Amino acid sequence: MPRSAVLQPEIQYANLAQQGETAEFGMWVFLVNETIFFGALIFTYFLYRLTYPHEFAVAAKDAVLWCGSLNFLLLLTSSLTMVIAINAAAQGERRAMILWLVATVALGFSFLGVKGFEYYLDFQDKVVPVINYVAKPGEGRTGELFWVFYWVATALHAVHLSIGIGLVLYVLLWKIRRGEITPAYYAPLEVIGIYWSFVDTVWLYLYPCIYLVGRS
Amino acid sequence: MSFAPETDPRKARAFPFVVAWLILLLLGGLSFWVALLGLGPWAPTVQFSIAAIQTAMLFILFMRLKGSPSLKWVLAVSGFFWLLFLYGLSMTDYTNRQGWPLMYDPSGPSYQLPQRSR
Repeated sequence: MPRSAVLQPEIQYANLAQQGETAEFGMWVFLVNETIFFGALIFTYFLYRLTYPHEFAVAAKDAVLWCGSLNFLLLLTSSLTMVIAINAAAQGERRAMILWLVATVALGFSFLGVKGFEYYLDFQDKVVPVINYVAKPGEGRTGELFWVFYWVATALHAVHLSIGIGLVLYVLLWKIRRGEITPAYYAPLEVIGIYWSFVDTVWLYLYPCIYLVGRS
Repeated sequence: MSFAPETDPRKARAFPFVVAWLILLLLGGLSFWVALLGLGPWAPTVQFSIAAIQTAMLFILFMRLKGSPSLKWVLAVSGFFWLLFLYGLSMTDYTNRQGWPLMYDPSGPSYQLPQRSR
């Protein structure tokens, strides 16, 4: 008998549907915290940008636009593959679910690869505050603040995405193999999908903050 | 007859999500184009408005708020609601500072200490 046939709710839940609803609700509670966390970070960015608009415009020109734009495409595409994977899980298309989840993980790793390469270029450009930073003409001392934001924000985002990749891999390599994702209960995947799209949302705001400043 | 896409995973098809994904990419392209126009302080305003539309699309379709219980909507909105308090109360300080904010001036460094009036 496949394990999925004996999948039972935890003792505190009446049924699997209630267990899944609770898990999704818990993720939304967590995302309220995340919204405030990233919202506060972006707020500090705008306070500095409004105080030093010229310096930020000069400093931001060194941001590697093609890397940010490519990552924008990769992340949005990964949200699409994730949502199609969840649909496949709910409709009992196991093979399609696995393929779309593998695509999601591949896109996530691609994002991190591009980000890593971008960090390498940033190091070459000497825009790493404290460690390797040379102010450009017209940038003044405060241009470095832009790069402090860049490193903090993108590193935090990359950590969040890495956690997302880890969670998808956990579902792929553990839960699906054990038959714990079925049309009757696919809430773990749904919860990870909500988290994944939220991480994608954060990039929607980081992209104009970092890569589209001073481009005119 | 409803043209709203089906988001229930048990019935949803891929096509509406592909269309939404294309619209999200187009909006990203629009944000990029706005950056080239030289709108000054209006550029981030327009770009964040575009990002807000994209966020709504992701939340409602990809994170499946559509058709969800009201309580999930309350949670989804509450993060932004509390951010309004954070932004609003913080700005009561900043907007009362003399000479802040200074608008973008391509001729040189922007920040100068405000003259104190006696």
